[in-house]
Amino acid sequence: MTPQTEQALVDSVPADSPNGVSAGTQPDVMLEVRNLKTYYPIYGGILRRRIGSVFAVDDVSLTISRGERYGLVGESGCGKTTLGRTILRLEKATGGSVTLDGEDLLAIRRSQLHRMRRKMQIIFQDPYGSLNPRMPVSDIIGEGLIAQADRENGWSKRAVRDKRVGDYLEAVGLRRDYSRRYPHEFSGGQRQRIGIARALSLGPEFVVCDEPVSALDVSIQSQILNLLSDLRTQFNLTYLFIAHNLSVVQYFCERIGVMYLGKIVEVAETDVLYGNPLHPYSVALLSAIPIPDPRQRKKRLVLKGDVPSPANPPSGCRFHTRCWLRERLGNPAECSTTEPPLRTFQSGHQVACHFAEQVSADVVQETAAKQDVIETAAAEPD
Amino acid sequence: MKQKADLAVYQEETPRVGPPTDPDVLLDVRNLQTHFHVMDGTVKAVDGVDFSLKRGETLGIVGESGCGKSVTALTIMQLLDMPPGEIVGGEIWFEGRDLLTLAPEQIRKIRGADMAMIFQEPMTSLNPVFTIGDQISEAIILHQHVGKKEAMTRAIASLRAVGINAPERRVKQYPHEMSGGIRQRVMIAMALSCNPQLIIADEPTTALDVTIQAQILELIKKIQADSGAALLLITHDLAVVAETVQNVAVMYAGRVVEAGPVEDVLLRPQHPYTLGLLNSIPALHKRGRKLDVIKGVVPNPFRMPPGCKFEPRCPYAWEVCRRSEPDMMDTPGRKSRSRCFLHAAEGAARRYEFEKAAVATVTAGLPEAQA
Repeated sequence: MTPQTEQALVDSVPADSPNGVSAGTQPDVMLEVRNLKTYYPIYGGILRRRIGSVFAVDDVSLTISRGERYGLVGESGCGKTTLGRTILRLEKATGGSVTLDGEDLLAIRRSQLHRMRRKMQIIFQDPYGSLNPRMPVSDIIGEGLIAQADRENGWSKRAVRDKRVGDYLEAVGLRRDYSRRYPHEFSGGQRQRIGIARALSLGPEFVVCDEPVSALDVSIQSQILNLLSDLRTQFNLTYLFIAHNLSVVQYFCERIGVMYLGKIVEVAETDVLYGNPLHPYSVALLSAIPIPDPRQRKKRLVLKGDVPSPANPPSGCRFHTRCWLRERLGNPAECSTTEPPLRTFQSGHQVACHFAEQVSADVVQETAAKQDVIETAAAEPD
Repeated sequence: MKQKADLAVYQEETPRVGPPTDPDVLLDVRNLQTHFHVMDGTVKAVDGVDFSLKRGETLGIVGESGCGKSVTALTIMQLLDMPPGEIVGGEIWFEGRDLLTLAPEQIRKIRGADMAMIFQEPMTSLNPVFTIGDQISEAIILHQHVGKKEAMTRAIASLRAVGINAPERRVKQYPHEMSGGIRQRVMIAMALSCNPQLIIADEPTTALDVTIQAQILELIKKIQADSGAALLLITHDLAVVAETVQNVAVMYAGRVVEAGPVEDVLLRPQHPYTLGLLNSIPALHKRGRKLDVIKGVVPNPFRMPPGCKFEPRCPYAWEVCRRSEPDMMDTPGRKSRSRCFLHAAEGAARRYEFEKAAVATVTAGLPEAQA
């Protein structure tokens, strides 16, 4: 593989991409998640009995309209990947409901689920780990086609399948004849393209992108992001875009949900969230983003300590152990006793904090100015 | 070679022999070349890298994976596996001595004491079978010739200095009992324990979450300022560089392609690669537009292009770039230097187009432009 071929193919991808759901049209719901819970059991003791649970996703609700790019951000271990996988029924849900295009995914039978798999696909994070090194690309992409073959599409026939594999390789900016190569012959960016082709070859409408660019270098990352937005227009896709890189989400998504310890703590349109975050955790998360502009060196609001264990989440508001706002307000009892519900502020901006009204840019700045960086590890539990 | 002589605008080269003349220069790396001999041939991972670092200053080395930034750090620390690695040429002047001429015993005396390293992976660079107290005091006993008890006291003090709660208890713990952020703090405490002149931090926050990254970066900045040690920060993240260091060197394919004060390099980039990197960073003001990409991929190390190593991916490249490789050149009106023919006499006519693109990039990112 020469660099020139990849480059030529990248250039051949259509350049314009209309952005966002057009205003005025009624939002058409693609995915609706209600009170979704995913708990993992912890076994222990002599009898290996269940002694507890990891509350990976705990009572999450969200709605994604058709054609939307919904971003899910949070630190590692906050449950964002588990949420994405539970929605696709790759993990077993403990409770709640997931409705994709009017069908309740958690209630339907196996055979129906099998059919629904065509509609929903996933792009994985690690382009090295997610492709079987012993399979040529034609089999990697073709495997899903064989599984979904029926009389109508004729995917069981080699010729039909090969043509489709080739078409999708071209769609992601690779050459048709790469289908006979093996994963080790490709660079990280190309592998990610293969992963994308595999997901799209079944013609899905809803795609979960689980950290699709985090393993890539900046210059390759931008190529993949451009590809994902082109493909969205070309195939009318709806994305649930999971990432921990806040700049990527800010660039790519229209609406963003912020997760902390298995819960969504804030949902807002991208501009609203980045311009006027109301949850103390979102504020700190955004403040932590380094900016590639030396003129904007700022005093950051640095959170103390680490994320607590999801097996033993704090009572009340799960963020209260690290919350700077709570400290500022003199540790009100409410934070540690009552779980804050998601409250709606203007235009779909939802925040789960008892004191979200107290958050403002001035307050944030004042708090940041008082911080001592040496003490930021102090809240670390034993 | 002949073509190079035609290009008139080179700065005078620093003398190639002898220690740096300026006593303030702590680390002076000159024409460093580290190669790896592997089955398929020789990979020139570091191929002629020059930079220098004054006492108490901070320098960032930034580049994508495979550009040779980590190998540069490991070469300075003399931590390379040899073979397959080989330091083919160059000089590394540190405190008046060329590290490449010293015997291994002398290097061991310097390493850990006068220069220390913070590694990328807090998960794997601590030894899982020793308590962290043992691991920190090992270096203290070795370099400061004190007893076990005194070393442990100093270990506790250095843990306290990096903000670890109850360090008396922490020293008895093993790495697996700690979170990633705390482990990285332990690494920093370890690096600081012997009061080094130079701290090399190799991707110190890459494995960490963004809120923990903020903690660690703030901590490194504060500790660097308080201790007066020089900092060499290796990272792939331009944003981390922008927030942490004074000077920056951008590496590509084993070479420094642009170097200078961080304001100049990031706000007035003088090399097409730097500009490309800046353009490909996603940001709010680019939403709804396609991201600019650097076309193609980094060159295969066994088939490097004959001229400028960035030429196959460079939108400004022309004939001369394919024929010969540029040296580091001064840039008009700036303190930064760039390895690009745009700054040579024959590139003058093409420079306007590049400058225009560079200015557009930077003004688009301004907060006023976003509002």
